[in-house]
Formats: sequence, structure tokens, C-alpha cells
Amino acid sequence: MHLSPEDLLAVRDGEATPEAADHAASCPECAARIEDLRAVRRALAALPQERPPQDLWPALRAELAAVRQRRRWLIAGWAAACFAAAFTLAIAVRGGIEAWQEATLTRETRHLVAESQMLEQRLRASAGAGRVVTGRTAGAIVQLEDRIAVIDAQLNGIGPDRADSQDVLKLWQERVRLLDALVNVQMTRTAYVGL
Amino acid sequence: MALNLFEAATVLHRETLGGAVTQPGGTTSVDELLLARAKAGSEAALEALFRHFEAPVYTLARRLMRTPQDAEDVLQETFLEVVRSIKRFRREGSFEGWIRRVAVSKALMKLRQQAARIPEEELTPEMAAAVAADSNHGVAPVATAPERLDLEAALAHLPGTTRFVIWLHDVEGYSHEEIAAATGRTASFSKSQLARAHARLREMLTPHAEGPCT
Repeated sequence: MHLSPEDLLAVRDGEATPEAADHAASCPECAARIEDLRAVRRALAALPQERPPQDLWPALRAELAAVRQRRRWLIAGWAAACFAAAFTLAIAVRGGIEAWQEATLTRETRHLVAESQMLEQRLRASAGAGRVVTGRTAGAIVQLEDRIAVIDAQLNGIGPDRADSQDVLKLWQERVRLLDALVNVQMTRTAYVGL
Repeated sequence: MALNLFEAATVLHRETLGGAVTQPGGTTSVDELLLARAKAGSEAALEALFRHFEAPVYTLARRLMRTPQDAEDVLQETFLEVVRSIKRFRREGSFEGWIRRVAVSKALMKLRQQAARIPEEELTPEMAAAVAADSNHGVAPVATAPERLDLEAALAHLPGTTRFVIWLHDVEGYSHEEIAAATGRTASFSKSQLARAHARLREMLTPHAEGPCT
């Protein structure tokens, strides 16, 4: 029995089983078929080279230019998208920072208002505890009270839309400082009177 | 033969470039400088590469595809892919070998697209005549020996997959395992297709030949 077409090809390509190779070595018909297969392979490899019937480079160059243009547009699109994203992020971050600053401002202002109220309570508690002993002390008290009145007028003139502004915070800081000074004067006087 | 420095110099309009040198075995080594310039996007270098490889790639595509138009498409798609991927090419193999593999991949893709549109079938006599006419259109074959034309025509008569397997295996040197990987089939399928291709060629080249050994 002769070799199958697959076995003939396997012998030609050096991939045959030992049995198939032995058969091919001893069978002139199969050996001739294998030589035919080799000849076909050689003939295929020797087929003439062909050139395209038309010059394809101009079309290819145009396509390459179109591809590059599309890539440029893509990059430009990405750049625009990145810029938009960065802008949005900046706005968001800025908004976040502003919100945080606003919250801090509100908290500090409330703290100053509470401190101011506490100082006023102490002033009321010490009011009438004695008389003024020197004109210098009386002058200081009047001066402090005048400055507090000016600040109160400024605070009253600020609308609710600016209730948490930096200016209001500064006014309250100044008011607390003046009240503190006023309390100190009153305490000193009370202590002196108490002597 | 093929691209020499004269050709490259003509294409490159006095640009100082390297070139590609055809080896005695028919393969080509591409000059590092030419390759570097092509990688950098030099249109002149890309054209020099195209001018050198258009004939071998077109011939390969012509053997794998049924019509010259399909072969032209494969040639164009191959070079577009080469331009896209040339920066990733490493000197692990020859540049020509890389281009040929890209061409095989593109041809296989096209064959799959065609197979999805129309079931694979052998050429009718009318289609074969059209293919034969196409194959000579605008082409000046180097060899005109009758047996070569017969073989070329017989090859064109083979079904797409069968022709693909015999060409890749017997001429391009692919193993059955490599063909199986490329086509998504098995090595056994590749072997049976190769045997079928040779049987059909034998029938067509020697009409009164006896059947296969039994």
C-alpha cells in the first residue's frame, strides 16, 4: 500500500513517521510522487514577481496625510478635553476652598460674637459698682465706648449678604478687643473702689 | 535587483539616506539610517521603502488573493499598517520578513471578510478567465514559460483557504502550527488543506494523471 497524500507531504517536509520514511525509501512510485511535490514547491517559489498595474504611492501618500490630519484633530480634541477637565477641576477646587474659607469665617465670627456677648454681660454686672475716681479713667472709658459705638454703627450698616465677610470678622475682632479693654478698665475701677 | 541606492537616491531627491540592499537569497536588508528616517516619519524614506517592497508584497498578495484589486488593497493596507507600526519594529527579524507577515495578516483579514460575504467556492470557468485576464493587466511577467503560466492559473483556481495554506507552507515557509495560529484552525486542518491543494494542482496540471496512491 502506498503513502497517503498527507504522508507524502510529511516525507517531503521531513516530518514523516519512521514507517512512512522507510516506505518512501523503498517505493519508487511514492518516491516519484514526493519528487513531484518538491518540483511543485520549487515551481511555486519560482513564479514571476509582479508589480501593481498602477502606481499606488500617490493614493497611499494621500491616505497617510489624511491619517495624520485625523491624528492631529484627535490630539487637538484631547487637548481641548484635558483643558476643559483641568478648568472644571480648578473651578471645583476653588469652589471647595472658598466654601471651606467661608465656613471658617462663619465659625470665627460666631465665636467673636459669643465672646462679645460674654464681655458685655461682665460689663453689665460691674456697672454701678462704684464711681469713677479719676478723670483719666473716665476719659478712657468714654473713648472706648465711643469706638465701640462706631464699630456697632459699621456692623449695623452691613447687609446680611456680607454677614460672613472678612470685613465683618475684623470689626468683631476689634469690638471684642475694645470690650476686653473696657472690661479691664471697669474691673480695675471696681477693684479700686472696693479698696 | 530591486531597491538599490540609485533608486533610493532618485526617490529621495538628493536627501542623504541609506537604502535597502537585496541579499543573494532574494531577501532584503534595510539600512538602519533609512529605517530610522522612516520611523521619524520622513515621507521620502517611507516612499523609498514602499518603492522597494511594493513588488514583493504585491506578488505575495497576488498569490494569496483572488483578484488584482484585492492584491492592491492588501498592498495598500499593508503599508498603512507598516507606517502605523514601524516605530514598534525591533531588529528581532528582518524588516522584509516583518512586512511579509503584516501582508499575510492583511490578506487573511480580507479573505475572512470575503468569506463572510460570500461562501468560499472554486472559480467557475468564467471567473477563472476573468482572473487570468486580470492577472496580465498592466503586468509584465518576468517569466513566460508555459508551465509557469499553467501553474499560476491552476493556483488561481484553488479555493481561497487552500491557496492560502499551500502558499504560506510551501513558499513562505510557515509551519502547520503557524498556519493554524494565523487562521484560527488546527494543524491537522492545515495539513489536509495542503494535501488537497497539491491534489488539485496535480489534477489541473496533468489532466489525465492517476489518482493519489492508495
